Amino acid sequence: MFYQPQDIEEALAIRAELAAAVMPVCGGTDIVVALNRTGVGAEHFLDLSHVAGYSDVRAEGNGWWLGGGATFDRIATALSDDENGGVRMLSDAAMSIGGPAIRNRGTIAGNLGTASPAGDACVALLAVDAGVELGHATRGRRVVPIVEYFTGFRETALSADELITGVRIPSGWRTGWQKIGKRGATNISVVCCGVGLSPGGHVRIAFGSVAPTVMRAREAEGMIEDCLAGVARDAAKQGGGGSTALPEDVIEAVGASAMKAVSPIDDHRASATYRRAMCGVLVRRLLREW
Amino acid sequence: MGWLLKCTVNGNPVEIEVAQDETLLTVLRDRLGLTGTKGSCLEGECGSCTVIVDGRAVNSCLVLAAQVQGSQVETIEGLEKGDTLHRLQEAFLTTGAVQCGYCTPGLIMAAKAMLDANPSPTDEEILAGLEGNICRCTGYSAIREAMRVALQEGARE
Repeated sequence: MFYQPQDIEEALAIRAELAAAVMPVCGGTDIVVALNRTGVGAEHFLDLSHVAGYSDVRAEGNGWWLGGGATFDRIATALSDDENGGVRMLSDAAMSIGGPAIRNRGTIAGNLGTASPAGDACVALLAVDAGVELGHATRGRRVVPIVEYFTGFRETALSADELITGVRIPSGWRTGWQKIGKRGATNISVVCCGVGLSPGGHVRIAFGSVAPTVMRAREAEGMIEDCLAGVARDAAKQGGGGSTALPEDVIEAVGASAMKAVSPIDDHRASATYRRAMCGVLVRRLLREW
Repeated sequence: MGWLLKCTVNGNPVEIEVAQDETLLTVLRDRLGLTGTKGSCLEGECGSCTVIVDGRAVNSCLVLAAQVQGSQVETIEGLEKGDTLHRLQEAFLTTGAVQCGYCTPGLIMAAKAMLDANPSPTDEEILAGLEGNICRCTGYSAIREAMRVALQEGARE
């Protein structure tokens, strides 16, 4: 059967009833690729592309709400303006995906549902402590912190009877995004890196394509947090504001730590050695721009 | 079980029963006989299957046909009005931007979607608008020239 609900509650009811027997599809930019390759479809499809409001991107409370069906094009446009509290990194990450036709269809819920280790948007979400909202017809909604969402290679906290209803993005973070691919468009990341600094001084360094899941380099994050806390203490003593510019020796050490944290593989896109080296390059590049 | 797809294709109402796992590309080519749209990589890398759905360029190989319910679909066949080609088609012809021609319908539809949204793009915006379309004859210089000519024609109209 092909289901095409017009509202999210109807969609959740179908998913709750059919669970793993139904394949949710929205943009189709992952699912239909697999269908074309294998010729094997699903017993049932649940088309979310007609669900009212599912593609909304809006400022909400102290941040942003991305409906699960928000396309990369919409995210890139809506979050590009840092001055209005957007999250520039998410916009840059969304723009780095595919070409215009892919960005017109591919969605944030699709990136999260596929949970590829090369999921660019997943890396960006990991670098700002996003919350993934999962919905169930009767159990209601639950928000899973992004760091707990990815549980293994292409495995997530999403249950077979739930749908990804949306993503919550906090505001006020300083962010940066870098990606290396084989060409400028329609390319899967060789390595990508997102960094985020929360208003409360928490640091996030996230990588894609260098481990079985998108991942964070926690030791490196701690090194920056310690450094910034030290700078803030000194500045407080002197009555000044405190800079977030990092000393070069700290940047070097953070890069070295990040390179140790990742566990890349050799494949047709790049060697493990190159990927590891680029993790250092990307994070140093981002930190120097802070 | 079939799905009764109702949409418009190039302005014409279409009602056709499709299978749930048929792509828009397959339905356009094999069911509606609109073979101007080409399939190639079938994974969203090459852009040869680009059509316009509700004003936006999409890879028709990655859209399930049933998903375009109620939508307006435009294909390369819809550009020509009577005996008059669209200015993009004319420009591709006059500049020799067609080599083997396989990428051409996708490129023209991607270009049309771009120009419909932004009638006077910069050179950079043109390149960005066409970045999802690959020409394996590598005739990119002629394609850029075609875009320049089409824009001049557009400005003249």
